[in-house]
Amino acid sequence: MSERHFTTRRGFIAALGFGAVSLYGAWAAYGAAPLPFGGHSGHKDAARETDADGHGGHGAAEGMAPEEFRFEHDFFVRKYAQKDGSVNPHADADAHGHEGDAHGGHGHADAGHGPGAATASGEPADLYLMAQKFAYSPDVLRLKAGQAYRFRMMADDITHGASIQLGSASRIIRLRPNVVTEQTITFTKPGEYLVYCTVYCGQAHDAMHGRIVVG
Amino acid sequence: MDTLSTSFAPAGATSRLTARVASLPSADKALLALLFGAALLALVLGLVGGAVTALARAGALTFLPDDAYRILTLHGVSVFFYWLYLIQAALLLVLAAAENGRGLALRPLAWTGAALMLAGFGVSEWISATGTPLLYDGSPELAADDPRSVGVFALGYLLLSAGLVASAVCGIATVLQPRLRGEAGEFTSIGFALFAWAGFLVVSAIAATNAFLPGLLWALGAGPFPADHGTEWHILFHNLHYLPLMAAVLVWYVLSEHLTGVTSIHGPRLSKIVFAAYLVFVPPTSLYHMFLEPNLSESVRVVGSLLSLFVSVPTLAAFAIIVSSLEASARARGATGFFGWMQGLPWRNPAMANMGWAAVNMMIGITFAFVLIQEKLAPMLSDTFFVPGYFHFFAVGVLTQTFLAALMVILPALGGGSLWRPDLLRRMPAVVTIGLLIFGAAGITAGFMGVPRRVFDVGYGGMAPAAWPLLMALVGVGATIFAIAISVTVYGVVRTLLSLRPSGGQAPVVDWRTGSRGVCAVPAWTGPLSVAALIAAMYVFTIVAFQLIQSLPIIAIGGGHGH
Ligand code: HEM
Ligand SMILES: [Cu+2]
Repeated sequence: MSERHFTTRRGFIAALGFGAVSLYGAWAAYGAAPLPFGGHSGHKDAARETDADGHGGHGAAEGMAPEEFRFEHDFFVRKYAQKDGSVNPHADADAHGHEGDAHGGHGHADAGHGPGAATASGEPADLYLMAQKFAYSPDVLRLKAGQAYRFRMMADDITHGASIQLGSASRIIRLRPNVVTEQTITFTKPGEYLVYCTVYCGQAHDAMHGRIVVG
Repeated sequence: MDTLSTSFAPAGATSRLTARVASLPSADKALLALLFGAALLALVLGLVGGAVTALARAGALTFLPDDAYRILTLHGVSVFFYWLYLIQAALLLVLAAAENGRGLALRPLAWTGAALMLAGFGVSEWISATGTPLLYDGSPELAADDPRSVGVFALGYLLLSAGLVASAVCGIATVLQPRLRGEAGEFTSIGFALFAWAGFLVVSAIAATNAFLPGLLWALGAGPFPADHGTEWHILFHNLHYLPLMAAVLVWYVLSEHLTGVTSIHGPRLSKIVFAAYLVFVPPTSLYHMFLEPNLSESVRVVGSLLSLFVSVPTLAAFAIIVSSLEASARARGATGFFGWMQGLPWRNPAMANMGWAAVNMMIGITFAFVLIQEKLAPMLSDTFFVPGYFHFFAVGVLTQTFLAALMVILPALGGGSLWRPDLLRRMPAVVTIGLLIFGAAGITAGFMGVPRRVFDVGYGGMAPAAWPLLMALVGVGATIFAIAISVTVYGVVRTLLSLRPSGGQAPVVDWRTGSRGVCAVPAWTGPLSVAALIAAMYVFTIVAFQLIQSLPIIAIGGGHGH
């Protein structure tokens, strides 16, 4: 057989098969590579999220049972409900003086994580968002820019989404029934953000949406 | 070199494939014609559903919500399950029978398989049209109050799976028969690929049973509610979309030989390794469908990300084998020009045109698939229109066009008729690609912006960005274009299936077979350049996606996100 040009050799052909693996380079450049090699992994801006690498675990909040979530959610909604139907965890404690006192002593495990305390300490404040056919509870949330919130989210009946439209793109969130999902989110710009369901959930799926008003 | 290149008829005469198909026993021909016809019927039903869905999403048609979701269900069920699986069963059987040379082994089993699949087809279409809309994944939680819909829907897929197992076993027996009789020695690469493909079909049918039997049992009151459907479905679904891709690559092998006489210049062993590689590379790469699942652990997420980089290995390797073999053979016959050698391919044959454009669509599809499989980008793109926006390049551009190309070659040999208006058909793939480019560009942009899939009215009471409905209108325009072009091709293929009268003209083929000497002395750059262009495109769109996700006014930690 005559001498083969390298582009027609088997080894070269097999190597071409692995061509797409080279995308690893792009991932590494953005700190999103799954292995610790390939440049500066993890701590560049791109994956700000990887900053959290230290504390392990994953999206589902460990330890929070669905029943506990329901309890905390109901408490959260009742405590911070506003006249216009929205929920504002920053509502002035004075306006709810009687509750404000109660908060200190009601025995909630998260007493220290209330928004008031959080703002002072830099700790994220706890929020509860429940998805069910075909709405969110709370329906409208009033939050502050620059403040970190620990969103605790759960679907009550069947699988839903709780995605947040952020202008040029969205952050897609999938919620499974009775699985408490936790994400810590800081909005960096004030505005009104659409929250919408991105998992088909039945007849009125199209209409399932809520709102986050960031002031 | 390749055992396949031994028994050729002279150039211009019927190829080995068509000669063997033409000489199959008439009982086999009847079965195959039935399966091809049923597959085409599924495609027609699905095309109508797809076109209506697209127009509804574009705002050009309005339906009550349940009806809209029924149509979407009909679309997904018809095309993804019945068109793609009936055509695979039919192609497996016809190629196995041609490989065997004497027809199907275990013919009664093949008929049983066909009967089961057709029963499944009827059941699935009926419940999709009349039951609670479950979409093509049939998630039971959507109809917890309607066990009948869940049970009947599951029954349809279970019948299809059972029929596929029967067909696959028949295919395996048919490929093995000459070897068992001692009439043939080693597997040819096609024989081996058929064997691997059939095995993969059986495994997937088991996964399907695993996913859908619990729903049927629950509906019958014989089991608990299938709360785990989501996970079972993901495992099944991943296999389900690589199986047809493997089949398409196999068809490219077969068609390249039919159209040009060229078989792999790298020998059968490399091809066999590549086909076997599907079984190695596909199942472990399924994790990327689950990046958004709240329960996925961090270690699984990391492993999934890494493995997903390898998902295209067998497909790109097969592409490189075919392209380098064609280019080297063309050059050995004096073809020149960097890409000019391609002019010698029989483009006037619509099967060639379909296959060539399918390769282009594949490159586009892989580009975007690799944006989606990055776990840090999944929280921006999963569950959005990005997903249908890119996968129709595969579903329509690659798979449907490739299988239709196979039908253009096989049906005239099977029925004795001739291909309907090849001069018109050969122009369709370019139109399909233009339509897909509009559909894909608008759909992928919409996905980047967060437009959800499976939502017909994306207004959200005026809160959605103003661009959303506009982009979806463009999706409708692209869909209309490719729907029309594919319909013309389908019409031509159906006419071909029904035509019995041989006409003088045969769709043109070329004969590039050369001796094994001198074939490889000159460089063959088309394959490597295509892969380089693919990598460049993947880089561009991955970087765009990273830039976009970083620009969002949000800092987030956790929840389906690297953490
Ligand atoms: C006339 C050609 C076609 C048109 C116009 C079309 C259009 C569409 C549209 C607009 C959607 C998105 C629905 C949504 O998520 O809101 C869709 C979904 C889908 N299409 Fe197509 N399609 C066509 C052909 C095909 C073919 C040939 C296949 C497969 C071989 C296919 C497979 C699918 C699948 C699996 C879905 C997902 C269904 C679901 O989400 O439940 N389509 N199609
Ligand atoms: Cu929902």
